Amino acid sequence: MEDFLRFSNDNLWSELWPELTLALGAVLILLIQLFSNKAATNICGRLAVLFQVVLLGYLLLDYLLIHHTFDRSSFSGMLRHGFQGDLMRTFFLLASICVSILGNRFLLTNKLKTGEFHHLTMLATAGLMLLCQSANFIVLFVALETVALAFYPLVAFDRSSSKSLEAGIKYLIFGALSSSLLLLGIVLIYGVGSNPGAWGAISPSTNIGMDILSFEFVGLLLEANQTNLLLRSGVVLVLAGLAFKIGAAPFQIWVPDVYHGSPTPITAFLAVSSKAAGFFLLLNLVNGPFDSMSEFLLPLFGFIATFTILFGNLAACAQRKLKRMLGLSGVAHAGYLLVAVMASMHFAGDSDRAVWVIFFYLFIYLFASFIVFGVMGIATLKDDSDHEIGHYEGLLQKHPWAAISLLVGIASLAGIPPFGGFVAKLMLFNVAFEAKLYTSLVAMVIGVVISIYYYFGWIREICFEPKPHFDDDNEPIDPWTKMHQLGLLKLLIITFAVVSFVFGIWQGPFGDAF
Amino acid sequence: METISPSHYLFLALCLFSIGFFGVLLRRNILLLLMSLELMLNGINLALVTFSRTSLNLDGSIFVFFIMTVAAAEVAVGLALLVALYKKRQSVFSEDMNLVSN
Repeated sequence: MEDFLRFSNDNLWSELWPELTLALGAVLILLIQLFSNKAATNICGRLAVLFQVVLLGYLLLDYLLIHHTFDRSSFSGMLRHGFQGDLMRTFFLLASICVSILGNRFLLTNKLKTGEFHHLTMLATAGLMLLCQSANFIVLFVALETVALAFYPLVAFDRSSSKSLEAGIKYLIFGALSSSLLLLGIVLIYGVGSNPGAWGAISPSTNIGMDILSFEFVGLLLEANQTNLLLRSGVVLVLAGLAFKIGAAPFQIWVPDVYHGSPTPITAFLAVSSKAAGFFLLLNLVNGPFDSMSEFLLPLFGFIATFTILFGNLAACAQRKLKRMLGLSGVAHAGYLLVAVMASMHFAGDSDRAVWVIFFYLFIYLFASFIVFGVMGIATLKDDSDHEIGHYEGLLQKHPWAAISLLVGIASLAGIPPFGGFVAKLMLFNVAFEAKLYTSLVAMVIGVVISIYYYFGWIREICFEPKPHFDDDNEPIDPWTKMHQLGLLKLLIITFAVVSFVFGIWQGPFGDAF
Repeated sequence: METISPSHYLFLALCLFSIGFFGVLLRRNILLLLMSLELMLNGINLALVTFSRTSLNLDGSIFVFFIMTVAAAEVAVGLALLVALYKKRQSVFSEDMNLVSN
């Protein structure tokens, strides 16, 4: 027992309690699934939601009331914890709860096993939480792969559907390719860093006991060798690997296909959590170890952001399938956020304002996305992946609560006042203007106008009377028939709609960023 | 006779990585695609071990273990997905993967 205590204290294992608890819960869910009889399988879903809600409650209680959060590191500097990391933990846990709730509905209608789904979702979330605390490239890689390996089977979860399987294979190949690029970048940095000749001003005394792959050392190394070609290509490759994850052009090829084929809850999971993690990591890297490369990276980022915004929005216009449209619109959102990342690089030393805007934007994006995907999850279609605008005609007359929530979600995504998305975009414009990123600002304004155009087609379809069908001999199937027993999902959608509206009027502490 | 220097190893590593990379871009058979992905990771492993050996720094060697584990896990998931897909579609060629498209 004493040995165990010493072991635990040396490495500060207790700093990782949310991740450990979540992973333990995931294993527990799998065991319950394994040993329960068929009739009781639905218990896994309820248990998973309950477990995560309790964990989230305790997490918030811990940060706000018991242990006020402060910057600290554990595992000999391999992990770094702080307020921003804690905020991201809350974010991922909230998203994970929503995915579980959406997933329960999806699994029920498709008659799939529940245990594995929740197990993988919770493991992915634990990996995402760890990813945001990492301060070393080894931990970064391992956490990133934990997340990716949990995501591949989730994307292909509906094994009876060829589309889902195909999306899974595509995601696996692109994901593995992107992590290879990331690894090559890390290897190049390590190759230079392991050569004492490149240390320059870093005196040997500060190096003792310092990992070459830690963010701190890489930061010093890059500062000492700002024009080294190997290091520059290393940095670009690491960022390219991350650009794959966030779906920034020209690495967005996988986004529409994978979003289209995967089950609706997982599309939401990819759109919200995976992207948010990529952005937090990007923010950590460009303001941490890659800080001294800012002058070299900014033009590159500027080009990528502009290209991403315009490409995402223009490509979304041409889509008939809703999931592809939302995916490409998500690409455009990644472009907007990249502009905020650039702004944070411009405010050297005082990047906090841009960082808060990014956090606010991510939370608003979470609320809006889960409203939209939640309502999409309610619709019972023959094929889960083939949502089209036509399925939504006259929803306002049939089910006003779903339609109004969906309208709020769409308006928030498109950035129509007075909803949260509008304020978040306004804040983004504001920081971009202050950082003097005029070209990107113009691209953002054009992008928002285009996005209102294609979202408006959807809004029109929801609001107006269904058109009479003349030449169809078979009556179109109404997807909005099974609207009873929604329980938590209905609560979730309505709550998020209210929250989106409230944040559009009152931003609380985030409002200070103006 | 010339001895083998670290740069030889690095050149081999780069060759392996490039073969893998172009394999992923050009191959049509998904099994070969997965093999190419493994080849890329092997090239990276070789480079890491070389750097680690020349500088006598152990970080790189430790990293290799993690990469090997991840590569094994990745290929396990990939093959499982491929088998499931083959049962449905009777094909492992990427040009037949056209269900999720516009």
